[in-house]
Amino acid sequence: MNEKVVAMLLAGGQGSRLKSLTYDIAKPAIPYGGKYRIIDFPLSNCTNSGITTVGVLTQYQPHALHRYIGLGTPWDLDRHKGGVTMLPPYAEIDGIKWYAGTASAIYQNINYLTSCEPEYVLILSGDHIYKMDYEKLVEYHKEKQADVTVSVLEVPWEEASRFGIVNTDDDMHIVEFDEKPEKPKSNLASMGVYVFDWKKLEHYLEEDNSNEQSSHDFGKDILPKMLAEQKKMVAYPFKGYWKDVGTVDSLWEANMDLLDPSEGLVLHDPAWRIYSSNPQLPPQVITDTGRVQGSMVNEGCVISGTVNHSVIFQNVLVEQEAVVEDSVVMSGTKIGRGAQLSRVIVPPDVTVPENYQLLEPAAGITLLTQDLIDSWKESGQQ
Amino acid sequence: MTLMAAVDASVKVAGLQDLTIHRSVSSIPFAGRYRLIDFALSNLVNADVNSVGIFASQPFGSLIDHIGVGKSWDLDRRKEGLFFLPTTHQNGGIATVGSFRDFEENLQFFEKSRQTHVVVTSSFVAGQLDYKEMLASHLASGNDITEAIGASGSLKSYILSRRLILELIHSYREKRILSVEDLVNLKKAPYTYGVYEYKGYFAIIDSIQQYFKESLGLLDENNRRLLFLPQAPIYTKVKDEPPTRYLDGSDVSNSMMANGSTIMGNVKNSIISRAVTIGRNANLDSCIIMQKCTIEENCELAYVVADKDVYIEKGVKLTGTADRPIVLRKGERVTKEDAQ
Repeated sequence: MNEKVVAMLLAGGQGSRLKSLTYDIAKPAIPYGGKYRIIDFPLSNCTNSGITTVGVLTQYQPHALHRYIGLGTPWDLDRHKGGVTMLPPYAEIDGIKWYAGTASAIYQNINYLTSCEPEYVLILSGDHIYKMDYEKLVEYHKEKQADVTVSVLEVPWEEASRFGIVNTDDDMHIVEFDEKPEKPKSNLASMGVYVFDWKKLEHYLEEDNSNEQSSHDFGKDILPKMLAEQKKMVAYPFKGYWKDVGTVDSLWEANMDLLDPSEGLVLHDPAWRIYSSNPQLPPQVITDTGRVQGSMVNEGCVISGTVNHSVIFQNVLVEQEAVVEDSVVMSGTKIGRGAQLSRVIVPPDVTVPENYQLLEPAAGITLLTQDLIDSWKESGQQ
Repeated sequence: MTLMAAVDASVKVAGLQDLTIHRSVSSIPFAGRYRLIDFALSNLVNADVNSVGIFASQPFGSLIDHIGVGKSWDLDRRKEGLFFLPTTHQNGGIATVGSFRDFEENLQFFEKSRQTHVVVTSSFVAGQLDYKEMLASHLASGNDITEAIGASGSLKSYILSRRLILELIHSYREKRILSVEDLVNLKKAPYTYGVYEYKGYFAIIDSIQQYFKESLGLLDENNRRLLFLPQAPIYTKVKDEPPTRYLDGSDVSNSMMANGSTIMGNVKNSIISRAVTIGRNANLDSCIIMQKCTIEENCELAYVVADKDVYIEKGVKLTGTADRPIVLRKGERVTKEDAQ
């Protein structure tokens, strides 16, 4: 892109509804899709859209993310000019300033943005799974001569009350923001992806910072304020797969979506690669006794049992007579001989003992934990 | 005592012509996601050898594309690292490993280095040679040159002092020797020769038959365990392929599968590289399918080696044998009429 666009990627979220998966890592670092972490999607979108200056704002459990992103090499973001910059909260002379909200996170890095000299600032979230050409979004923003452009997605009407709904006129000018409305007037949900003119954003961030009543959030404070002051705000209709994986169930669903070539997200697209840090592992092996159907399997796996409609990450061993169905098995896991798993997410580096079965399979999706395995062992069922 | 390395990627190997029209032997794909040179390079970096010269002859485009600045092997260094040293001779590359003429052309690589010893190695042997152990054995023996020997022959890897290789580069013409391999085979005086016995897995790829046999040999779990050691990874160029998809109705057994492929058909006893598509009701037995090949539906393939970008149209039937596999050249398109 010619014009200077800087992406600010909000990656500080905890994702507490994902339980033990996010005890040690931030939500954007959660493994997804057999080899990726969620943050690979917005980062790869930046690379594929020609955006080469990216600030990544971290706060909750940032170590795994900092280590993972490093210099940004897998995403081609190790650049002389721009590139990726990790932006955790920092101390100033009058104390440490934690990021209180999405807007305060950006405000506290105003020096970084100023040094980048952007014309446009793209605000992104690090915990959404989607493929999007941000260049088209910025072009649209320029065409419409907007002060801010909000990317929106059509959601099913019956689910609209779960989202931040954007009401527009016929020309896609935003007339109202409706946060989780009981009776939605539209089914256009905000994706938490915004393009701002930098000067306008700078002004509103400073104003918001000095407002003690503000919760310092884009959706709750900045955008409504701009609307009240009749700034030009437009909605950009995004079409395509988009998923916010906030819960164990939705993380499972997002993985299962990959197994449906017609409905889900297409990863096998050389024109829009999702980049990721690649461990150097040998190819996967399906042995004489192995059987794999309707599944995705990554490198380093040895499959001697049955894998049905599942997503298998790198370095997983499925031993003979083990059956894995409708499940997500994360890296470094060993599924012991004769074990049976159905509708389960297995976190990384777990050893599932031989003949293991979930005693009382829950109605939804089970996130397997060492506690569950230990209590199964104690019950003497094996 | 420290090691530097001269990797001979220019050796001409008769018997691999169909796979070397567009590339050197060193960049022949092997084991689904690797090129042959990956094994030599990985063995070296796993032994902390950080100054590696790759001696290449035409055609080396594929090799350069694969190696780049050596990042995958951690050889993109400020100090030392990877040196790409192509020969200027039109007909570069001889039949034996470690050509003194090629070394002479790049004399500075040897002169300006600080290491005391040099590994001279081929780039068509896949194994897990431990150069630290081999150097220790070389030093203990007191011999001038040590050759690595495995159960079925020479691994074509040699250790000698840097001082000696410089002496040989200056005197090879009058001594009438072509290469390090040549010298060791002739056992020319006044030097002393020893061997280092390597006990692990290795595969020498010097003919199509060997290539076929050793590739499918990796379906034996014991061989895989010896070649892919968690503590000594084999590094290769990163491709960012997604995991491989197995669609409903596919059936894969006893096979090694790289990433990025879409499998709808039936595969057994085979090695499938990255980004391959295998159509519905296609049956593959004992095949080696390289990167980005497409096998359309209802094909019947047995004992076939398909080089990169081969396209096999639907309904094609090809049957080779273990001794004479059918080799399809890079980019070939096979129709039902061709196959009859």
